[in-house]
Amino acid sequence: MFKKCIISLIVLMFTMVSFSAAFASEGSEGPLGNDRKGKYTYRKVYKACAAAGEVESESPKISPADKTMGQWKNIFETKTFNDFGCQENWAALSDTDVLDIYSYFYNHASDSPTPATCK
Amino acid sequence: MKTKKIARFILALIFGLVLTTGCTATKPAKIAETDTQDMSWMYHDIVDAEFVAEHLSIPMPENVMLIDARPYKGKYVKGHIPGAVNIPFSEFDKKIALLPADKNTLLIYYCEGLKCKLSHKSAKKAEKMGYTNVKVYAKGYPEWVSQKGHYAAVSAEQVARQIDENTAMIIDSRPQKTKFNKGHIPTAVNIPFSQFETLKGKLPRDLDTPIVFYCGGLKCRLSHKSAAKALEMGYTRVTVFAKGYPEWKKIYGAATETLQVKAGEVEGSIDLGLFKSIIANRPESILLIDVRDADEFAKGSFKTAVNIPVEILEPKIKTFADDKPIIFVCSTGARSGEAFYMTQDVRESLKDVFYVEAEIDFKKDGNIEIKAPK
Repeated sequence: MFKKCIISLIVLMFTMVSFSAAFASEGSEGPLGNDRKGKYTYRKVYKACAAAGEVESESPKISPADKTMGQWKNIFETKTFNDFGCQENWAALSDTDVLDIYSYFYNHASDSPTPATCK
Repeated sequence: MKTKKIARFILALIFGLVLTTGCTATKPAKIAETDTQDMSWMYHDIVDAEFVAEHLSIPMPENVMLIDARPYKGKYVKGHIPGAVNIPFSEFDKKIALLPADKNTLLIYYCEGLKCKLSHKSAKKAEKMGYTNVKVYAKGYPEWVSQKGHYAAVSAEQVARQIDENTAMIIDSRPQKTKFNKGHIPTAVNIPFSQFETLKGKLPRDLDTPIVFYCGGLKCRLSHKSAAKALEMGYTRVTVFAKGYPEWKKIYGAATETLQVKAGEVEGSIDLGLFKSIIANRPESILLIDVRDADEFAKGSFKTAVNIPVEILEPKIKTFADDKPIIFVCSTGARSGEAFYMTQDVRESLKDVFYVEAEIDFKKDGNIEIKAPK
């Protein structure tokens, strides 16, 4: 019984920490990653991917302005990155890198105050 | 049979005569040419490059004076034998005070080669004044610079011109922390002689690029040693600004001190107030790189900015000098931010790198409005 209590307590604490960590990376105005760094990391993914011959162009085919903030939120929260291609390169990214890329997409989404141009 | 032999003999005789006449006709012609030249203008004691080299040292010994008798502006400024003092023949009397008090000092005059009379005339004048040990290096400057391992010294005016026209790489051979960081010639790259082997990669790839080495003045050997190393590496247009930074300071004032950049609130960004102040007061103290596209840059840009669009930036990062802070700029901070992180990734050792996190409006009338991000 005592063992069960300890295990439940640990699970509860783990859940609480994970929950707060998830919220800590997303402020009231979107994700709190580094969008400038995210832009570079995102482009770097495609450079590496093109170098490996998986895609033809070094330039990413998807732009933040292709979707709304809500749509990006959904994609990044559910981690459905299939449309991006270059799966191996995406899998190799750290959580921080993904958060930075998410911030870049969110902050420059089509309905954001500063939608991404083609640059 | 006999007739044939006679014919052969006559032919051989004619051939021999022609040859002999040809040879004898050439020799007297040359002698006659020399004989007719009036060589009386030449000074009687001529020395060669080897003699000059034997008596040169940095700093120059007190009992030797190497004197360039050519005009200052057109010739001496652009290049002279290291250690030479300029006393143009036309100003001999005016600059007489530059000659040493000791009349036994070895005076070696030179000018623009065998046809140049200036050094000979100067030597004769000096001898008349009582100098007892006067020589003329008759083949002069043209021979000196053409010899392997030799290089020219240049004056401050020439360095200033090369900086202005962006036609040479200026290398400061002094130590970084104690000298270079406290002040240096604008645009100079620091390759301390003590670190020459490890930092020689900063030198340009093109071996024909003009390079000017300098250090702490006439008594400093670092620039000369560096120049010798550059020549060994195959660089073909090596010069030394022998009077170095003290002379530069005297003529052009204290030069750029290395700027300490204050970071802004956002990672990698420069403090906006500081950036505005730099642009207004000392734009040459930073390497400002505008990473927008060429067409945007053409419509308006900071005066001192160089344009390297972010798409083609990566391979160029390794060529950046690290002697002054590098600031990336664009119109919003997006591309300059990308450039900052690219530099961090590609060349981590480059520490003094920042970008401008701001909205920058390059207006048609030339004005530039810099606004903090919302």
